[in-house]
Amino acid sequence: MTATAEPMGTTPLGNRPLEPARLDALVQALRTVLADDQILTNKTDRYNRARVPAPFPVHRWSERLPDLAVLPTSTEQVAQIVRIANEMRIPVVPRDGGTGLTDGAVPMRGGIVVDVKRMNQIHEIDLVNRTVTVGTGISMLKLNERLAQHGLFYPDDPASYPCSLVGGRIGTSGWSLIGSRYGHTRDLVLSFDHVLPTGDILHVGDGIGGKISKSSSGFQMKHLFMGHQGTLGIATKATLKLFPKPEAELSPFWAFDNYDDAYACTGALARAGVATFAGAVLFDEYKVAYLRRDDEAYIPQPGDVRALVCSVMYGYEDEVRAGGKRLFRIAKEHGARYLGDEISEGDWAARHDRYATPLHGRTKDGQVIPMSWHCEDAAVNYANVPAVSKAWHEIIARLRRKSDVFDDWGMFAYTSANTGVDYLTEIDVGIWEQRLDDAAWAAWVDAKREIAAVAIAHNASMSACHGSCREGEVDLLPEELGRGFDVMLDVKRALDPNNIMNPGKYLLDGAYDNACEGTSRG
Amino acid sequence: MAEHLPQTPSAPAASAPYRRSEQLTPPPAVPVSEVAQTTFEHVYEVDPRLMQQHVLQQVFPNWDTLRIMRSRADHLQWMHQHFASTVISGSEILAEVEAEAAPAGQPLR
Amino acid sequence: MTQVHPERSEGADALSEPFTPGAPSNPPELAQYPETLAGAVPVPLADPKTRAFVDEWRNASYNCFSSGHKFCREVCPVTQVERNESWTPTAFHANVVAMERGELEIADIAADYVNCTQCGACELRCPNTLFTGDFYRFRTRTVDVVKAVRALAVESGVHQPEWQSWNERTDLRTHEPVLGETPVSQEKVRDWAEGLDIPIGGETILFVDCEAAFYRTSVPRAVAQMLQLAGYEFGLMQEQWCCGGPAAEMGYVDQAKKFARHNLDNWRASGTRRVLVLDPHDYISFTEDYPKYFGDEYDIEVVLVIEVLAELLREGKLTPSVPVDRAITYHDPCRLNKRKGIWKEPRELLRAIPGLRFEDVDRVTQWSYCSGGGGGLPIEKPELTAKISAMRLERAAELDIDTLVSACPWSERPLSEAGDAEDIDVVDLHELFAQSLGITVGGSRGDVGDKRLAQERTGVPGRARRTRGGGGCGGCGGGGGGGCGSNGGGCGCGGH
Ligand SMILES: Cc1cc2nc3c(=O)[nH]c(=O)nc-3n(C[C@H](O)[C@H](O)[C@H](O)COP(=O)(O)OP(=O)(O)OC[C@H]3O[C@@H](n4cnc5c(N)ncnc54)[C@H](O)[C@@H]3O)c2cc1C
Ligand code: SF4
Ligand code: SF4
Repeated sequence: MTATAEPMGTTPLGNRPLEPARLDALVQALRTVLADDQILTNKTDRYNRARVPAPFPVHRWSERLPDLAVLPTSTEQVAQIVRIANEMRIPVVPRDGGTGLTDGAVPMRGGIVVDVKRMNQIHEIDLVNRTVTVGTGISMLKLNERLAQHGLFYPDDPASYPCSLVGGRIGTSGWSLIGSRYGHTRDLVLSFDHVLPTGDILHVGDGIGGKISKSSSGFQMKHLFMGHQGTLGIATKATLKLFPKPEAELSPFWAFDNYDDAYACTGALARAGVATFAGAVLFDEYKVAYLRRDDEAYIPQPGDVRALVCSVMYGYEDEVRAGGKRLFRIAKEHGARYLGDEISEGDWAARHDRYATPLHGRTKDGQVIPMSWHCEDAAVNYANVPAVSKAWHEIIARLRRKSDVFDDWGMFAYTSANTGVDYLTEIDVGIWEQRLDDAAWAAWVDAKREIAAVAIAHNASMSACHGSCREGEVDLLPEELGRGFDVMLDVKRALDPNNIMNPGKYLLDGAYDNACEGTSRG
Repeated sequence: MAEHLPQTPSAPAASAPYRRSEQLTPPPAVPVSEVAQTTFEHVYEVDPRLMQQHVLQQVFPNWDTLRIMRSRADHLQWMHQHFASTVISGSEILAEVEAEAAPAGQPLR
Repeated sequence: MTQVHPERSEGADALSEPFTPGAPSNPPELAQYPETLAGAVPVPLADPKTRAFVDEWRNASYNCFSSGHKFCREVCPVTQVERNESWTPTAFHANVVAMERGELEIADIAADYVNCTQCGACELRCPNTLFTGDFYRFRTRTVDVVKAVRALAVESGVHQPEWQSWNERTDLRTHEPVLGETPVSQEKVRDWAEGLDIPIGGETILFVDCEAAFYRTSVPRAVAQMLQLAGYEFGLMQEQWCCGGPAAEMGYVDQAKKFARHNLDNWRASGTRRVLVLDPHDYISFTEDYPKYFGDEYDIEVVLVIEVLAELLREGKLTPSVPVDRAITYHDPCRLNKRKGIWKEPRELLRAIPGLRFEDVDRVTQWSYCSGGGGGLPIEKPELTAKISAMRLERAAELDIDTLVSACPWSERPLSEAGDAEDIDVVDLHELFAQSLGITVGGSRGDVGDKRLAQERTGVPGRARRTRGGGGCGGCGGGGGGGCGSNGGGCGCGGH
């Protein structure tokens, strides 16, 4: 194995299951709160809650197993489970959809996976104030099927829209494809019930209100309890902001014969200030070459189609038409060629489905191999997107010179805001997990660290949506946050005196004297 | 709602009588790029030479190919409807923009 | 500037610019980089059965494992009601990878694989099918993997008690014991056809699945009488055995093959060239299992009855004219809609029935609907089947309807039971179409169906729950109550 600095607090401590007597005692205690079918101890129960879609060295799967999993159905049950765990000093790992890409829902120190998927009720639809209150185990897609009956719509639209769940959206403070129009998870979740690491229940929102979108009362704590990757507790019931279901959608795709023009056009579209503008996406030349592998829309395109831009608008038909004309004019000025209605409409509707597809993978000479999808997702200012892209492709090219385990799937840059200030800048990397041994993994962790370093060097944040918890990037978190990282440690210690809540993440074990030991497992 | 989903004609219907030999005979493949080919209308396939080493292709009767292609179209249509009541066609907007840009008196194209 | 640099800068090589791998025009150097990192493939497993299994399914399961994104979760009927990540399509594939790595054994995983109706929703919704399955001729195969794991379990002596006994009894009787304690047998398999005067054998035969032949006999009776009405020639099988599909679904592969062999030989013996199928499960057996078992030898044409009826309707050989006063929605049977893409003809038939008010739910929304009746689930875990059918009826109950129409006898027993709780009738498409053709169907609609039908003759069950059309319309009986128009208004008794 290549020598790499062991990242403190992220290297799993190895598979150290609870001793049988402690496990028995834990199960006994949990039985006072939960029915038998809510306490899962089988091997398959544990193996299937020890991974998320992000590639990992599969031969080390057993290092990430929890001791058991529980399926609570109420806030009170969650609170009691956490109280038991806190008393017994046993780690708790919140898990919802299990689609997070930074291993947040993967146990690093065994313990109890608190799987909240059964808490998927719609508790209240408030048609007057336009909110809905739901259990955090609900899917946005399923929620919107119900809301459509009232002409309403909850617009948190990650590419994982069909599979991520509201609790995980809170735990990651997620990013939405149409966030430039509707805001991201943090803007859309008004308030929620949250179980602290001690088992106390907190209602957190703007002020104490359940349905308040702006308050100045006290500290503004909502952001703190979002995006913590389950290290500060478990959200159980959330109140969400609703919009009218849009009347109209417009999603033109334009082709360019070079990256620079496409980049310029993207910026101009985002800066135009069109109210119905929900996002713009820049596909770079690597992405287009990649799409030519297997995407029916791009296979037949002429060779001078090298970069793409897509923009999307939602709203009433009249306003979308008016805004659309403005954006079409801008595109035309930048030399864009409209790709036609079929591609434009179809590709936008396919926006969730095209990422993690194993057979996109290729060896350099073209043989199809099944690859996992890894996505690096820095938040980069517009001005720095080209430089970051160039440096990142070089990092992946270096890996590919050494091995077919890695593949460059190209880059997207998506607007995060309605002014074009910053972009979710994403490089998609294919990783051949079947052949990913310790050496290949080490090479990948090094590359990840380089990727993160490039972002930070360009005044970017390492992650716009997934979080930065994994080996490789997490090492650079103190560098990105500076003094803020120490505040994180202070907050963690204050809220989680025994480090039971998702230990091993975000270097937060460093907040405790027994640093790398994490929770005592005696 | 169902009526809004598209119906793709051409090629045998999903409910056509099943005959094994027919099902295992797709239309002859025509290359469409250096790495892809086409069989049925709207169906693209990888150049089979790229699936000879690590992942081998499965036995794929025609009904399955067509089912997937048609279901994909259905699904995309469903997604549009899920997010908005109507889809505005970009070509209409483009035509308006070009008409406005065309100097008066010039024929449009 | 483009990211493609025609003149390469210092130190640059073929990997310094974007390319599409596999293109013959690519620089040859792309094939020449030595591999320096890729690890070994996992060592072969000791147990030969497990090894053979893993060799066969490794890549199929890996194709899910390395996505792992769970787009299938909210369409899987089991996952929707249980929300237990151990019982998901994702887990069903991941376990295979864990077996490949020697982390799990068949005994660890077998019981989990009961929790699947083989509805096919996960496979279809999976982006690896829906977006690239046709392109690569390689799609997600959860149903096949579930069947293969169940088969490995049986082969390894790991049995589920109810399945084991069910298949033993099936083997003994050559039919599934769908009547519980009441024995089924070869002598009785054609009892449903009593009085219909159907010949035996011939070029075209009608195959009737066990559930329809013994339990919901109204379905084959409806089918046979409609075909007769249209002058469509067909016979019944000489010695029909269970199609073997359920045994294959539960992992009893040798038994399944034995039954299949018998049926094919029997068709041969009677000169049968074409098999008409009214049951979607049989349709799967005959178009997917049998071709695999028999290869080139399998030259039988398989035709779905619904397709025949749609054709006869189009040709004007069948014209439904008796109004049916029901407000219905249609349940897309999993094995037609999701697994075969057949959704159009059933709707064609329903739209042709006069008097019917049809509130349709589109076929994609229905990818997440299931009766819970498939894949042997009701045999081993009837309580889970009941939860799934209750969820299906919950969706139906949101509509302004009194009847749920299905086209799959195996779905109709659990759906009828759940429907009774919601005061919704569950009727088979063939029964309804026959009724509209003026046929008195006869036979049994199963326990719940017969009970509700009896009530209907006196008091119109289900009608009370409707808010629109025909609501509370005591005067117009169900069935062929011709006086009662479809649009409610004509009924003279508005909704409540
Ligand atoms: C194909 C694909 C596309 C994706 N696209 C996007 C995208 O566009 N935008 C984006 O933001 N993300 C995207 N993701 C990443 C992922 O979907 C998001 O991070 C999502 O928010 C995770 O939700 P989940 O329900 O799966 O949570 P999980 O993976 O279960 O958990 C995520 C984190 O939140 C914590 N957590 C879970 N439940 C709770 C709770 N109730 N309270 C507190 N903490 C909790 C967990 O401990 C973990 O740290 C994508 C993932 C995939 C596979
Ligand atoms: S079956 Fe498909 S959708 Fe489900 S997890 Fe696997 S790859 Fe994803
Ligand atoms: S076939 Fe149906 S029941 Fe089985 S795993 Fe897939 S979706 Fe679930």
